[in-house]
Amino acid sequence: MADNGTTKRLARRDVLKGAAAAATFTILSPSSVRGSAANSKIALGVIGCGGRGNWVTNLFAKHGGYQIAACGDYFPDRVKGFGEKHGVPAGQRYTGLKNHEKLLAGAKVDAVAIESPPYFHPMQAAAAVEAGKHVYCAKPIAVDVPGCLTIGEAGKKATAKKLVFLVDFQTRANAIYQEAVKRVHNGDIGRLVNGVAQYFCGLSFGTTLPGDAEGRLRKWQMDQVLSGDILVEQNIHALDVACWIVDADPVSAAGTGGRKLRKGDGVIYDHFNLVYVFPDETPISFTSRQCGKGPSDIGCFVHGSKGTIDTHYSADVKVLGDTPYAGGNTGGLFQSGCVENIATFHKSITGGVTHNPTVAQSVRSNLTCVLGRQAAYTGQKATWDEMMKSASKLGADLKGLKE
Amino acid sequence: MSGRWRNPCVVAGLAVLVAGCRRGADTPPQPAPTTRIAPAAQPPKPGEVVTNSLGMKLAYVPPGEFVMGSGVDEPGRHDDEARHPVRITRGFHLGVTEVTQGQWKAVSGFNRSEVEGNDLPVSRISWQHAVTFCKQLSRREGRTYRLPTEAEWEYACRAGSTGPFAGTGGADEMAWHMNNSDDVPHPVATKRPNAWGFCDLHGNVAEWCADRYARDYPGAAADPNGPAEGKYRVVRGGSFGHFPRACRSAARASQNPAYQLQQVGLRVVMETPPTENGT
Repeated sequence: MADNGTTKRLARRDVLKGAAAAATFTILSPSSVRGSAANSKIALGVIGCGGRGNWVTNLFAKHGGYQIAACGDYFPDRVKGFGEKHGVPAGQRYTGLKNHEKLLAGAKVDAVAIESPPYFHPMQAAAAVEAGKHVYCAKPIAVDVPGCLTIGEAGKKATAKKLVFLVDFQTRANAIYQEAVKRVHNGDIGRLVNGVAQYFCGLSFGTTLPGDAEGRLRKWQMDQVLSGDILVEQNIHALDVACWIVDADPVSAAGTGGRKLRKGDGVIYDHFNLVYVFPDETPISFTSRQCGKGPSDIGCFVHGSKGTIDTHYSADVKVLGDTPYAGGNTGGLFQSGCVENIATFHKSITGGVTHNPTVAQSVRSNLTCVLGRQAAYTGQKATWDEMMKSASKLGADLKGLKE
Repeated sequence: MSGRWRNPCVVAGLAVLVAGCRRGADTPPQPAPTTRIAPAAQPPKPGEVVTNSLGMKLAYVPPGEFVMGSGVDEPGRHDDEARHPVRITRGFHLGVTEVTQGQWKAVSGFNRSEVEGNDLPVSRISWQHAVTFCKQLSRREGRTYRLPTEAEWEYACRAGSTGPFAGTGGADEMAWHMNNSDDVPHPVATKRPNAWGFCDLHGNVAEWCADRYARDYPGAAADPNGPAEGKYRVVRGGSFGHFPRACRSAARASQNPAYQLQQVGLRVVMETPPTENGT
């Protein structure tokens, strides 16, 4: 999944250069185990061989505990390039819309990393768990309510089958974020009053969407359905932190959004403005911009009766007030969070830790984004209960794509 | 027994101690009956209480094993509470209550607690203040007093229990916390004691421990005492200003040791000299 890397703090180009330079990897042992033998590598299949898939696979390889055993993507050129770069045998490379099904049926893998467009995550993750594979899934987990519920069920099934299912949010893996949020949960800022979440960055992905199916799929970040729009696909970083802090489902959302620079039906918005109301009448306002030249920030402040938590992705995280926490700078989080999650995924598989806490958290924040998107698209106040009852499904136009 | 040990006493039984610990507004204080004992080569009995010259009661906690941390399904848990077995190899005496403002003033000569009262737990003390108090008390009493380790604290807090709180009635039964305290500390021992007779390990004020904090429990399975390095010190038990989840037996917190917070006080360990059989 493409975190766009548009903020200066993320410095993604530098990250990619470093990762590519470090991407030498030698397979030391066969991977027929399910991560139980101490000196065996976990055989990993990567589903989604685009920018994020390649980048995250570099980190899996660098970890040392994984063997990149198989790969899948719709596009043959991407699969070929990925396979050659990461040493995937020719017979373990799969293409087409059903590449994940072919991979799960044909490849000898213990685990899969799902790095495809978000629209496909639920079906791919559910199929992987069904096939007995551990799942490492990029955010967002889905683009609509049914997709979120599918992931929730897949996570429960994974636990029942003693499989690991980890959703890759970098913030939740960071020790400073964890400590700051724990203090809020304990009561260090008192009762929650209100808050602000925001995601500001410059224009990325472009302004228009190709008309043909393959063109849209290649540029899926620009497609409202395949990506879920920027609110679900990108802004979730800020809203996930807000949900984590508040530790509750929102009751409602209202607001607006639109396109100032982007044009065309089905093209993602470039800004959203929303007000969420959480239980105990706790409002959290949210603003995002993915255009313009202003400062970049993925932030969340929540105010309580005795203090404030102040968080910024890849920057300072702290708690202010009666019981302060100096926290620290979370610089480099785009990579360090992912490295941490990859290590946790490995430890969980080898250690049999399968309670999979990231799944329910991700379902909550993903649904929160879907709620806000519904409010902005319709201009009407959207409630959680009504959204969950209607459970509307987004349908992507996949006509013309090869299986 | 040292000459400075002025008033060694022992409670006849644990049940008596428990009754004496619970004195709410409708339950007048019931001083625990005590009997003077002579020094003995045998270890104290579990739950036996001694009272020092300050009137501070300390109950004996015998060596034993327990499972530290919480299960993954425990409501309100955080990820730094991984369950693991711990052995406490040396018995110790632990304060039945948090150190009160009256006891604190008698030793240290100052009291910065925001809400004042001799029966209220002392607070607004730094970790160094707490350590200094233990040293001063040791000199005064001729025995070694110190802060509990995090493992000793949870061992005593659980008193054999395995759930979120040591009692059967949840947070309200055992703790003064944010939802029932009116945001002020309460006189010590006005909530139900645990099975070993200790009061207010859940809530009222949080308590400094000796250990440095680390997210993963480091160190030995026997008598762990925290990492060698680290900026923050462990604080346990939650307080009148914390949500109930922070007052659970397994809930861990950490603070800058220089901070003097109105929600944080202390409870002391009195080391129990080894006996002839080594316990």
